[in-house]
Amino acid sequence: MTLAHKTPQVTLEPAFTPEGGKLLPQPLRHLRDIRSKALTEMVLPNRRTENWKYSSKYLKLDESLAPLTQGSGMAVGRAVEGAYRVVIRNGVVDRESSVLPDQKGVEIQRFTDLDEVTAQSVARKLDTVIDNSTTQIAALNTARIEDGLLIRVAPDTSVDHPIYVQCVTDAQQSGSNYPRVLVEAGNGSKMTLVEEYLCEGDEPVLVDAVTEMTLDSNANVTYIRLCMEPDNVRHVGATGVRMADGANLDSHAIGFGGDLRRHDLQVRLEGENGFARLNGIALTQNRQHFDNHTAIEHVVPHCDSEETYRCLAGDKSHAVFNGRIHIHKDAQQSHADMNNKNLLLSTNAEIDTKPELEIYADDVTCTHGATVGQLDETALFYLMARGVDRQTAASMLSMAFVHELVGQVPLEDVREVVDVRLNQFIEASFKETNA
Amino acid sequence: MAEAQRTGTYLQRFPGSSTPPAEGTESEQLKIIELEESTQMLTIKNLHATVEGTPILKGIDLEIKPGEVHAVMGPNGSGKSTLAQVLAGHEAFEVTEGEVLFDGQNLLDLEVEERALAGLFLAFQYPVEIPGVSNLQFLRTALNTRRKANGQDELDSVSFMKLAKEKAKQVDMSPDFLKRGVNEGFSGGEKKRNEILQMLMLEPRLGILDETDSGLDIDALKVIANGVNSMRSDDRSFIVVTHYQRLLEHIVPDVVHVLAGGKIIKTGGKELALELEEHGYTGLGIDDAEATG
Repeated sequence: MTLAHKTPQVTLEPAFTPEGGKLLPQPLRHLRDIRSKALTEMVLPNRRTENWKYSSKYLKLDESLAPLTQGSGMAVGRAVEGAYRVVIRNGVVDRESSVLPDQKGVEIQRFTDLDEVTAQSVARKLDTVIDNSTTQIAALNTARIEDGLLIRVAPDTSVDHPIYVQCVTDAQQSGSNYPRVLVEAGNGSKMTLVEEYLCEGDEPVLVDAVTEMTLDSNANVTYIRLCMEPDNVRHVGATGVRMADGANLDSHAIGFGGDLRRHDLQVRLEGENGFARLNGIALTQNRQHFDNHTAIEHVVPHCDSEETYRCLAGDKSHAVFNGRIHIHKDAQQSHADMNNKNLLLSTNAEIDTKPELEIYADDVTCTHGATVGQLDETALFYLMARGVDRQTAASMLSMAFVHELVGQVPLEDVREVVDVRLNQFIEASFKETNA
Repeated sequence: MAEAQRTGTYLQRFPGSSTPPAEGTESEQLKIIELEESTQMLTIKNLHATVEGTPILKGIDLEIKPGEVHAVMGPNGSGKSTLAQVLAGHEAFEVTEGEVLFDGQNLLDLEVEERALAGLFLAFQYPVEIPGVSNLQFLRTALNTRRKANGQDELDSVSFMKLAKEKAKQVDMSPDFLKRGVNEGFSGGEKKRNEILQMLMLEPRLGILDETDSGLDIDALKVIANGVNSMRSDDRSFIVVTHYQRLLEHIVPDVVHVLAGGKIIKTGGKELALELEEHGYTGLGIDDAEATG
């Protein structure tokens, strides 16, 4: 069955031009106004902001704050077989290109269509999953939203296909856009969410994308975030997840560099026996910049987290990893493993990695490891001793370095899409080195 | 004794060819010399090598004809593994003197991968684990690179899989190992078997086995020996580097060399290995100081 021909079950209003949030239901418009006003007083990230010290100079907010309009309608993302698909173009949900589920217990609505009651509950929830004091970008998003996506999965419902949310920027002109997603996964529900960030057009744009998720008891969410935009996009994004008891999060954040890439991932384990796996891949070349900030809060006892981030940096690019694990006073019997391995493909590339562990409980197991290295000469020699030339050997090893994590992504379609880009990345990296 | 005569011949040959040029014109003489040289697969002349400035090899002379199996024995630290690594082209070792001809080519002028493509294969003493690169991908890349270099077509995936499975069976290796990362989580014995599998796939002209027997139980040893023996032919040679005589019961060498202090101090037939087993290296008058060079 090809789902692309299925009739959307949710009625969405026709496309519209952003008008300062005028089309949002009142409660959301109100929240937006509050944030907008606060924005004038808010200190935006600058050199002195500790968690932005490597990246603030790339942000260049003032030049591109003007919100983009819906654009020409050419940018529609890509079709995915056997999956639901919501297209958010320039921050506004595009009805025409979306394929939505008609499954009982699965509700997908855009903010501008919400009734007063739902809008009220959404407005109360926004900005409560993400810690606004550390991610200024989330506050900026709320101050600028034109629309958004609400995904609700009822208790004990397994969404029968992955849901792709494709955030497409139409960069025919410069400007900014603010995709927003709120996910509510009910007790014992199960879903796979793929966020794919794409762009067509080559004018400089800013994308500020925020996703908040709440996982109720025993909910199981696979979250895949693909940052596939070209260089002209300055992408800042934040994902916040709050997890109740027994909830399971499997997160895969994979991104290719650009003028600016910044992703903040915040996970709060708020119920016992929760498990969070955070995998990440960042790939940079030329003069690209990528900054991953993660924070895992072990609030209660008996939760486990496993974090593995890897980065390949070539040419004159710069990659940053900051991984924070915070074990609260009561969170005994917590297990937290964090591992960040980085590979420099060029002597001119820079990688800054910083694990931050704050542990206030005494009966916990925490491990962390961060390395920045170059290709292993022993392994290179081994490959070359079998007749493989140095360049091919080096690309095989670089590929292998991140491919372990690609292999853990549970969707074949995603693995394929990533592999294609990964191959291009590796090819280009080693062409440059040899030139 | 045939072996003794042979020993004499080997010792006498160095340095260089001692055969006087035959009569005839200059070009004919040249031809004769070329012919003579081409009867050797590998010729090592006065090879000196250092690691970080410390001399390890101090004048190795060795000649190997096609089809021959040469064992290189010696105490720890004598330079056996260094010799194997130098031949394969490891960067850590610097050749300071001497030359090596492989099928008439100056081996030392070739890059690591060019040596491999020319038909030289080193079975590593410590095979490297490469997580993320599957054994299959590795084998296929290596095999097709070699085929391309030989002017052959690349093998398609079906023919390749068939070949890989067949060869894996030959070294008693489950096909599951083909899908795993190269040597990733393999036991010592599995790693060594994987080396032999690679050799069976790549079909080199010259196989150098660097202490392939170390850490193997007798069953694994036999599997490996069978793999090597199945490849013995008139135009393929082997250098078997080993500390013990045990492997040589299964891979019977034509010639045995004893390496000590960076030099070959004795050359003989297969019985030399037995002698060593019985009397130890000290029985040959090698004291520790000399052995560690």
